[in-house]
Amino acid sequence: MVSVPSPTHEAHSVTAVEQPPLPVKLVIAGGFGVGKTTAVGAISEIRPLTTEAAITEVAAGVDDLSHTPGKTTTTVAMDFGCITIDPTLKLYLFGTPGQDRFGFMWDDVVQGALGGLVIVDTRRLDDCYAAVDYFEHKDIPFAVAVNAFDGEVHHNLDEVRWALDISDHVPLTVFDARHTGSVRDALLVVLDVALSRAEDTTAN
Amino acid sequence: MTAGEPGPNEDGGPPCAWGSPRSSGAESGGGAESLGDGGTRGSSEPAGRAPAIRPFLLTAGRVAGGGTGPPLPVETQVVATSSGLSGLDSLAFEQHDLVAACRHPQSVAELAARLHLHLNVVRVLAQDLCTAGHLAVHVPNARTTQDISVLRRVIDGLRAVPDSRGTLRDSG
Repeated sequence: MVSVPSPTHEAHSVTAVEQPPLPVKLVIAGGFGVGKTTAVGAISEIRPLTTEAAITEVAAGVDDLSHTPGKTTTTVAMDFGCITIDPTLKLYLFGTPGQDRFGFMWDDVVQGALGGLVIVDTRRLDDCYAAVDYFEHKDIPFAVAVNAFDGEVHHNLDEVRWALDISDHVPLTVFDARHTGSVRDALLVVLDVALSRAEDTTAN
Repeated sequence: MTAGEPGPNEDGGPPCAWGSPRSSGAESGGGAESLGDGGTRGSSEPAGRAPAIRPFLLTAGRVAGGGTGPPLPVETQVVATSSGLSGLDSLAFEQHDLVAACRHPQSVAELAARLHLHLNVVRVLAQDLCTAGHLAVHVPNARTTQDISVLRRVIDGLRAVPDSRGTLRDSG
């Protein structure tokens, strides 16, 4: 493949010891325990890393810690991994908490993302409403993927689509967060949405 | 572009977007306190200093994106300059660790995770070190999300990922 000069890095004369790759990112959203970190770990070339983000911004506004029993303070873990596409292009995958109260950090992470994958556990559909709303509101390309825990999906996809009230143009798929190929294919669905949108924008 | 300057900033803000100086008291709430458990994670982390220092003491109370511009995106690439590496001995503590960790390009998020620092602390320190010429900070361009050639490269690269992977590496 022809090496295309990165449009996002100026020609630096900086004496950096190594030219960094162009970083791009996808966001993986969904409720607690839905499989975000599992999905990141299934496809990342490094063991998923965790960072705690944007804590000071949220500390004042959060009063509901009932979802995190045993914790007296709010820490927001963000797991992420990466895939080196080629020496000049690196894809980062960020898993973000899906609950409403963590909405504060999404802008921080999602800004500049190519797209998002919302992971759904059909036993707890309501956990992903906030993420779906967010991506729709921000007009970010996204797809919804039902995580088939142990190969089981408790509702058919039409029911899930109805329950989540997602538009027909939002792809809805079933995947297994534990399997590399399955996660890869789910992310490709997101990227197809992103590509179609970019092509439409360019055509207009 | 001269050494130490970051890449273009889409939003027209200053290239190194510091948070405006704020009272460190504003940062010392429960959130900052909670970082104290950062040292209990995996055994692979560097032993040594206990995280006894409140995160924003390291930044003299400054926070990222505190009004003068957007914070650095989490995927922003940071890499040491040759002068940064040759001047490592003149740096101490977190500044030293940050530059030393950037022999190879790292994202802001990776740096935060590996050095067990708060994301926003890394943002502020990286920008300081960038201004001082020790680090080069490459702020990604927001237009990338609409770049068809980039999207196609990502899609092709992802398609090449096999159905199953071997053991994961511990670092990138």
